[in-house]
Amino acid sequence: MKNWFSINPILALLTLCLAGNLFAADATADFSAANELYARGKFAEAATAYDKILQSGGQSPALWFNCGNAEFKAGHLGRAIAAYRQAGLLTPRDAELRANLTFVRNQVQGAPLRESRWHNWIGSLTLNEGALLAAVCFWAWFGLLTARQIQPALAPKLRGVTRFAVVLTVGSSAVLAVQAANHFTSSVAVVTAAEVTARSGPFDDAQSTFTVHDGAEMHVLDRHDAWVQVADATGKIGWLSSKQVAVLPGA
Amino acid sequence: MNILGFRLSEMSIESMRFLVKNLVVFVAVALVSSAAWAASFSASLDRDTITLGEQATLSLKFEGVQPQDAPSLPRISGLAFQYVGPSSSFSFINGQTTSSVTYNYIVTAQHEGAFAIPGLRANVGGQSLASSPLKLVVTKVNAPPAADVANGREPAFLKLVVPKSKVYVGEPMVGQLELYLRDDVQGVNNFQLSSSPTEGFNVGQTSEQQGLRRRVQVGNRVYTVIPLALPLTAIRPGALTLGPFTAGVVVGLPSQNQGGDPFFSRFFNQTEQKQVALTTDSVKVESLELPEKNKPANFNGAVGNFTLSATAGPTTVTVGDPITVRVQISGHGALDMVTLPVQDAWRDFKTYPPTTKVEPGDQFGFQGTKTFEQIISPQNADVHELPALSFSFFNPDDGQYHTLTQPAVPLTVRTAGATPMPAFATAKSGAQENQAPQDILPLKVTLGTLSANRIPLVARPVFLAAQSLPVLAFLAAFIWRQRTDSLANNPRLRRRRAVAQLMTSGLDDLKKHAAANQPDEFFATLFHLLQEQLGERLDCPASAITENVVDEQALLRGAPPAMRDALREQFQLCNQARYAPVRGTSELNSVAAQFEKLVRELQELAA
Repeated sequence: MKNWFSINPILALLTLCLAGNLFAADATADFSAANELYARGKFAEAATAYDKILQSGGQSPALWFNCGNAEFKAGHLGRAIAAYRQAGLLTPRDAELRANLTFVRNQVQGAPLRESRWHNWIGSLTLNEGALLAAVCFWAWFGLLTARQIQPALAPKLRGVTRFAVVLTVGSSAVLAVQAANHFTSSVAVVTAAEVTARSGPFDDAQSTFTVHDGAEMHVLDRHDAWVQVADATGKIGWLSSKQVAVLPGA
Repeated sequence: MNILGFRLSEMSIESMRFLVKNLVVFVAVALVSSAAWAASFSASLDRDTITLGEQATLSLKFEGVQPQDAPSLPRISGLAFQYVGPSSSFSFINGQTTSSVTYNYIVTAQHEGAFAIPGLRANVGGQSLASSPLKLVVTKVNAPPAADVANGREPAFLKLVVPKSKVYVGEPMVGQLELYLRDDVQGVNNFQLSSSPTEGFNVGQTSEQQGLRRRVQVGNRVYTVIPLALPLTAIRPGALTLGPFTAGVVVGLPSQNQGGDPFFSRFFNQTEQKQVALTTDSVKVESLELPEKNKPANFNGAVGNFTLSATAGPTTVTVGDPITVRVQISGHGALDMVTLPVQDAWRDFKTYPPTTKVEPGDQFGFQGTKTFEQIISPQNADVHELPALSFSFFNPDDGQYHTLTQPAVPLTVRTAGATPMPAFATAKSGAQENQAPQDILPLKVTLGTLSANRIPLVARPVFLAAQSLPVLAFLAAFIWRQRTDSLANNPRLRRRRAVAQLMTSGLDDLKKHAAANQPDEFFATLFHLLQEQLGERLDCPASAITENVVDEQALLRGAPPAMRDALREQFQLCNQARYAPVRGTSELNSVAAQFEKLVRELQELAA
């Protein structure tokens, strides 16, 4: 019994690793199959296949990227933009991704959603990268403080480096705070239906205010049951049914 | 006086008894009434009938309880509730205290009719409270009598002006809602359209036309006219009706109750806010279907008056190379509806979806330029020209279809393998060098690392907890540093710790010497340990310690007599051992045990 208890955690770990590898192997096979569907011009089927892998719980930048390509080729501009935006959350500096996103956005009717230069700069780091950067600076700062306690003789030499670490920690933490605020509090809605009428209230018989087309991106202002209040690039505000949009984190 | 004094005191006692009795009754009544008073919840409307465009106020009043938040209201089709804010009151009447909180909502209706607001329920402080249902009747707004308008009796009224009574399907036009404000109106706010029936039309955003305000005379009064643009596009044929548009507005009018001297009233002018319900007449518009006669084959729904220009480049290419065709359609019309027609003559080309860009020339999108950029690539070397490009539209001004054509562009298409430098049809420019991409970039072949965890690091407890490690390490180092510094600056403390350590090892040595029956080493060690321990306690060098210190040092003089006797005995044993060293193991063990007890007592002795 004693041996069993000592071996059991190892077995469990091995089982988990094996399961993870099997899942990755399955996903790779499914990914290749979806790529093949795309190559044969079966774009809608390819998009469904990519989506199936995503539904199984795993995600990677390439998976979202290819899903975006398939959705675009299938004529779904909104879904393509949503997929590219999801890929952008994982690899915001991918030039190919940005090129495709720009290309698809150019196909969309209506004024594009403009982000500020500052927002774009912040968005060039993923939220996880921002968190790791802030953590490294924070650890370095406290590491230096700890070293100064252990070896007081080093304190004068480390003073400048410590101040630099403080500045880096404050700066990186501020960037992380903005990123986290964008991620958790602001959202963007991408229209995924061909044409959607925005209404003045969150109900079907509310007065129509404006019309948006597939792929239009808008800032989410509020949510109410199955409705999303949005503001488009020109500042027009209206409610859209959440079935007709994909709501994504802001950054 | 004595008699009088006696009477006064007698009266005072009676008065006091009366007062106490009444006070007791008053307190009892107050307690009973307070206990009888219970929490209540009621809903009320400031009026039960409004006209379309007017607002009513719904008040939810809680007495005796304080809800955490404003209650949520049920969704009622055709009614909209806007939370305004709470108001609270507190009163103390006849010893009874009452407090209440009222939550206020503005109620607006989207159409006429009778609306039932059901009884509302609220759970506050464990109590379930309910209000009575309410009824709100919304009546149709009738246009003010023409005589009232003509005589200037209306402070504000609304007119709908449509430029045409006949339009074609797809033809854009800009109607106007004209808001007339009488010259004595001193402020206008909260203009809100409550109903805008525009069935059969696609309606753009209503906005004020800047710089077009004007003043007109109506009857014997002067009105300011504020024009609101109403972009309209008919989307189906037939007899269409616009309006009646209804709206509500709050205007400021001179107070009727000013009275007093007209001279002073000029300086102390007061206004009354009056809510005015506005409505327009309905306007009939005939929407004409586009004629079938002479309709071009490539007509795809563009209605307006347009011009066409197109460029293509490069014109010397290899089979499969991209050629960018840039088409600009400019003019007046619903540009959103304009699409690039399918060019049947481009059958020898592979075409990609065009990109579009609109540069509006007005705020309604009814004028401007729409640019299409389409990538095409020749499929064989037999192609010698890009066929003529044509675009057809219907001009509602003359009721005719027009077709615009751009001439064919000669092309030189070579078979793959021959790669001459491409030539452009027009002058080379930077824009052409940085041509727009033709298509999306291809798929990524490798899946990459698959991540199952979609929760960002900052939201994972493990990551957040890990950030406490450097802080804890720093705190540990800080405490260690403080203790080290404290020890370095306190030689007595340092000595105490060194002696304590010495005693631990010395007692072991004593036991070893006792076990080995080595009385010389045993007593030498014992004497050394005695000196060290007493030296530390008395804060003097160990070598200066002799039996005399027991009587000389104040600390030991104040010690219990048993301890002092034990010390003397230990010193004497050490001295005797020099002259009579032979002793047994058991006796040495006994001495060691006594010494150990003595050391503990010495260490507890306050210095």
